[in-house]
Amino acid sequence: MASVVMARPAPGALSSDRARSRRIVDRIATIALWSAATTVVALLLLFIAYLFVQGYSSISWHFLTGYPKSAEAGGGVGPQIFNSFYILILTLIFTLPIAVSAGVFLQEYAGPGRFRDLVQFSAESLATVPSIVMGLFGLIVFVQLFHWHFTALGGALTLTLLNLPAMMRVTQESLAGVPSTYREASMGLGATKWQTVLRAILPSAIGPLTTGVVLVSGRIFGETAALIFTAGSSVSYGASAYDFNPFHTAETLAVHLYSTQREALVPDATQIANGSALVLLVMVLVFNVVARVVGRQLTVRLTGKAS
Amino acid sequence: MVGVRANKAHRDERIALGVLATSSAIFVIAIVLILGFLLVNGTALFYADHVSPFAFLFGTNWDGFGGQFGAAPFIVGSLVATGFAILVGGPLGVAIGLFFSELAPKPVANAFKPAIEVLVGIPSIVYGWIGLTLLVPLIAKVFHAEGDGLLAAGIVLSIMILPTVISLSEDALKVVPNALREGSAALGATRWETMSRVLVPAASSGLAVAIILGIARAIGETLAVQLVLGNAAVMPRSLLAPASALTSEIVMDMGDAPEGSAFRHALFTMALLLLLIAMGLIVLIRLALRRRT
Repeated sequence: MASVVMARPAPGALSSDRARSRRIVDRIATIALWSAATTVVALLLLFIAYLFVQGYSSISWHFLTGYPKSAEAGGGVGPQIFNSFYILILTLIFTLPIAVSAGVFLQEYAGPGRFRDLVQFSAESLATVPSIVMGLFGLIVFVQLFHWHFTALGGALTLTLLNLPAMMRVTQESLAGVPSTYREASMGLGATKWQTVLRAILPSAIGPLTTGVVLVSGRIFGETAALIFTAGSSVSYGASAYDFNPFHTAETLAVHLYSTQREALVPDATQIANGSALVLLVMVLVFNVVARVVGRQLTVRLTGKAS
Repeated sequence: MVGVRANKAHRDERIALGVLATSSAIFVIAIVLILGFLLVNGTALFYADHVSPFAFLFGTNWDGFGGQFGAAPFIVGSLVATGFAILVGGPLGVAIGLFFSELAPKPVANAFKPAIEVLVGIPSIVYGWIGLTLLVPLIAKVFHAEGDGLLAAGIVLSIMILPTVISLSEDALKVVPNALREGSAALGATRWETMSRVLVPAASSGLAVAIILGIARAIGETLAVQLVLGNAAVMPRSLLAPASALTSEIVMDMGDAPEGSAFRHALFTMALLLLLIAMGLIVLIRLALRRRT
């Protein structure tokens, strides 16, 4: 679209003063748009540089794997990092089957109609529920009603509700990218709709689908507001702080950054927060790179395209 | 043999359809449950604790343990911070959307786009931490104030809504037919005239959706705001005075409010208010999109 040639006004078509001022306005606007875009990218680079400068001295093997301390300096965030991944995996186990199925249904099966509109509208509504509101819903249901107290499972289920719409959207978009000739060829060979979905459509959509899933995973990893009152803001001290029991409290790294600010008694709360912020940022960058690389690799391997 | 196989395929087809439709129905059930539970718990303040909705919405005194549940300071805080974010982040986001859709050469777009995606991915708590340790001291220095308050929250939110506004406005602008660009150019319009007088009006409903979703992101944002607002449960007197918002106040008070108390009910009422605002924005989006067709 940018390739459309924009003609300059023909000289002499207007009084030359006016033509010149219009050209100047155009020039100024162009410079303004370029600066706006450049500023935002520069801002991101500034954030990254800032977090690295502030946080790198906090990072050590001990910090990444050690246990948090309650009152003295030198605590680590090992259990929190573990909990972040644990809750992410639990969330994906619940989210993926439901969201991908719903995406397949809306994209491949459902014709235009009431049910499809209703699901679409529900998904849009679900997507705009603020995460703190979802957190309170989780609190009402899992903590107050089920009496689970703060649990990894309650947190993961809350995050599932929060991320179902994004996962479904990702699925719909990946399926929409599959050429309709694939469907026609498969059905023409006598395959049923389900066989077509399972053996032709999903495999050829696997690249963009994986990219989307990993990007959404990055957001699940950093989620905070929905977890404070569902998974809790302390780590479990069972036999080990690396605790697989889904019914134990499980503070994640993002929640830890919040709680060290709010209530920590340790003297090095600022260093711990700086280190945690840096780890969170690095994870975001890793998720973004992985999303691209794995998505591309899978597309090549399973479809033979774009080698 | 063939008959058995065909039968199995037929049965698989029916099972698959059932599973897929059930998964889709979960979305409907989920939003109904969320609305239902929050309606019940969010109105308990009115029917169980006999606080009038009027006193909740317009009262300015907040004291959870003292039975004062005037949420007006938080409503004002949320609206002002969100308004600020839209006034700054809205036009800026649309401008950058225009840049990506109309101006950016391909290599530049390819270099800048991943940056926008990373901005989406940065957790809100990290935005809050940058705001608290970098922006708040800066504001304190420039304005000789405490630093935390609605100005800091507004700036942080402006940045946080940018990726949403940018990518949705770019999408809205890209679907404007090329014929409009060509026609405008043929009439002698400069590139900026084409953008501002042809493309933006043509994409107006899509741009409205971009702004509305920006509002939705800003009003529901919690931790980035909580860290930089200063958390004073009073009516904000200026952009530089410590303030509080609906979201941040919920986080501040939830741990202290005992289960079943009027205090906790009042926090649920604030969550209900946020949910109703979010649903209202969804209806607005539907209206904006209907105008287009």
